[in-house]
Amino acid sequence: MKASPARARRWATAALSALALTAVAACGGGNDGSSGGSGSADQADLTWQFWIGGTADQAAWQKVADQAHTDHSGITVKLQGTDWNSYWAKIGTLLASGKAPCIIGMQSLRTASYASAMLPLDDLMKKYNLKAEDFDKPIMDGLKVDGKQIAIPYDSGPMVIFYNKDMFKAAGVAEPKPGWTMDDFKAAAKKLTTAGRTGLVTAPGDLSVTSWVRTQTGAEPLADGKLALTDPKFQEGFQGYSDFVHTDKIAPQVPSGNPDFETTQFTAGKAAMQLNGPWSLIDTKGKVKFKLGIAPIPAGPDGSKTYTAGSGFGISRSCKTPDAAFQAIMSMTSEKPLTTLAAAGRAYPARTAAHPTWFTAAGIDGAKETLDYASEHSVPLVTSKNWVQVADLLNRFGTQALNGEIPPDQALKTIQDQASAGS
Amino acid sequence: MVTNTTTVAPPSAPPGSVRAGRRPALRRDGRYAGVFLAPSLIGLALFTLFPTLMALGISLFDWPVFGERAFLGLDNYSHLLHDPVFRRVVLNTVLFVVLYVPLNLVISLGLALWIGPKTKGRQLFRVLFFIPVMTPMVANAMVWRLLFQPGGLIDSGLQTWFGIDAPNFLGSSTWAMPAIVTMSIWQGFGYNFLVFSAAIDQVPQSQLESAQIDGAGVLQRFRYVIWPMITPSIFFATTLTLITSFQVFAQPFILTQGGPGVSTQTIVMYVYNQGWQFLTMGLASAAGWVLFVIIMGITAMQFVGQRKWVNYDV
Repeated sequence: MKASPARARRWATAALSALALTAVAACGGGNDGSSGGSGSADQADLTWQFWIGGTADQAAWQKVADQAHTDHSGITVKLQGTDWNSYWAKIGTLLASGKAPCIIGMQSLRTASYASAMLPLDDLMKKYNLKAEDFDKPIMDGLKVDGKQIAIPYDSGPMVIFYNKDMFKAAGVAEPKPGWTMDDFKAAAKKLTTAGRTGLVTAPGDLSVTSWVRTQTGAEPLADGKLALTDPKFQEGFQGYSDFVHTDKIAPQVPSGNPDFETTQFTAGKAAMQLNGPWSLIDTKGKVKFKLGIAPIPAGPDGSKTYTAGSGFGISRSCKTPDAAFQAIMSMTSEKPLTTLAAAGRAYPARTAAHPTWFTAAGIDGAKETLDYASEHSVPLVTSKNWVQVADLLNRFGTQALNGEIPPDQALKTIQDQASAGS
Repeated sequence: MVTNTTTVAPPSAPPGSVRAGRRPALRRDGRYAGVFLAPSLIGLALFTLFPTLMALGISLFDWPVFGERAFLGLDNYSHLLHDPVFRRVVLNTVLFVVLYVPLNLVISLGLALWIGPKTKGRQLFRVLFFIPVMTPMVANAMVWRLLFQPGGLIDSGLQTWFGIDAPNFLGSSTWAMPAIVTMSIWQGFGYNFLVFSAAIDQVPQSQLESAQIDGAGVLQRFRYVIWPMITPSIFFATTLTLITSFQVFAQPFILTQGGPGVSTQTIVMYVYNQGWQFLTMGLASAAGWVLFVIIMGITAMQFVGQRKWVNYDV
């Protein structure tokens, strides 16, 4: 029997439709066995999605994953790494598909964006007796959304000033100490700005901008959970920050979209100070050819005020074995792996008990005094659901404001309008 | 020149009337053609047609990556139309195309003509100019970022030799787009250079020589002999360069991330940001469709226009 063209067409259409449906089904249903996790509270093979920078990073974090198996012989944690830039897009799709891995790496600034796909951990914390007070308070709070704990932190840290001791010495400027003021800072930065070098290097990143604004005027980016960048106090603080570049000229012009600029200028010895987090301290110390010091952010009229950020591990809502995942997270954030990470200089530990090891590894005079002081004067940077967009807009229009292309008020108004339209 | 014409015997006609005899053969050919085309047709349907239509569907929704979806009709499109940022983004993309495409074509054609068939070391030049095309765009852009940034190679060079500051290329709204176009041309002209170079090789030397004997100068030889013969390559290069330059992403993404402000943000970057950074798939799909329609329109216009200037009778 020969098929007529019409029949052949029908066959082809049917075959194509079947293929298309299979493809759709396949899109929805990848990774069945491994990612969702299966088993009971003490018996489970879990997958942990995390940002990984390279093979050294992979090895260090693998040890953290292994801790879960050491503590609970029935639980294994498989580490899946993605680089930081692709990480957020990847977990976005995984969480959306409902097939996300059980354990998810979460950064405090992005917690609000992903919270709806994550399991609140408060009940599990009670059940397994995880004590919040063993961790740094600002970062525990930073990983909460609407009062619910979304992730358990492994690192934390208040934003502090990194400075080049050699440049301070050469310019005959006294080194900064806890309690130094904005006036002290500006006077020092002016003296340090000579011959192609600057006293400070700035960037329009979210943590930098908000910390500098907070110490100058006390203004916060959110009011009642809503973005409030056009608040006069915030505008005043941001004006002060952008003045560093185009009025005081104590910091160089900033290029657009180069998140490393601040760090490369500082580590190359072209700028005497930068604002950074303790998570970068040991890495920076290894890179630079000068003596590195740290100091709290200078005090404005109401004292030194800074923000804390950090990261931790949470559980996806689609996880079938949240009890096992939580026990694994408890092991991964316990004293031992955090001390190991601290000794390797990877992260400023979120557990206070692991701090001494980190300070020994850092080997910087006054580091403990500075970080304790800064931590006391810091609050978590609480973000909005669309913070990724806010941070992106801040980078774009903040660059223009810092370079004096547009007035800072106008930049803030554009960011406020754009972010509100999108949410 | 003698051309051998081989006569292929027609396939033996099947029994039956003449009219009925030709059709089964044709039908059989069609069926075979269908079988051979199937892999690419299925691929096209699955990986191009289906996602394109899916994106059209998504563009009619408020479609967050996770959370409630809601039907919006054409609201995403009207949002884009009224959004000053998106209008600027479209303008940036057009500006990039207007600057990049003609410059790329002129430079690659100019060099291909200059480094003609008789030039010594021609192969070496071809390899040299093609190297930027082969090296990864991201690595290229990183190197150019080091050249352009404050205190970078250009800035410190100007300061050392002339004592003046270079403009903040990647931080100034005036300079950022020209900086991206410059880097893109350096990166991209080698491909068209090779295409034009190969086309020029096909122009018979005898015709050029006879034109020269007839008194045609350099410009006339180019205008009346070379140009008509390489128009198919020019059409090919123009179409592809136009399409890829409308889709520009990597260069601004690495060099400026679309800033300062939105002065170098392009449509594909906008789609990427909306979809994968801000997780709003509906708006991202709508912007993707806007780009698709623009590219389709311009490509269609080119195909219509080519009848007037492209010469296939060589």
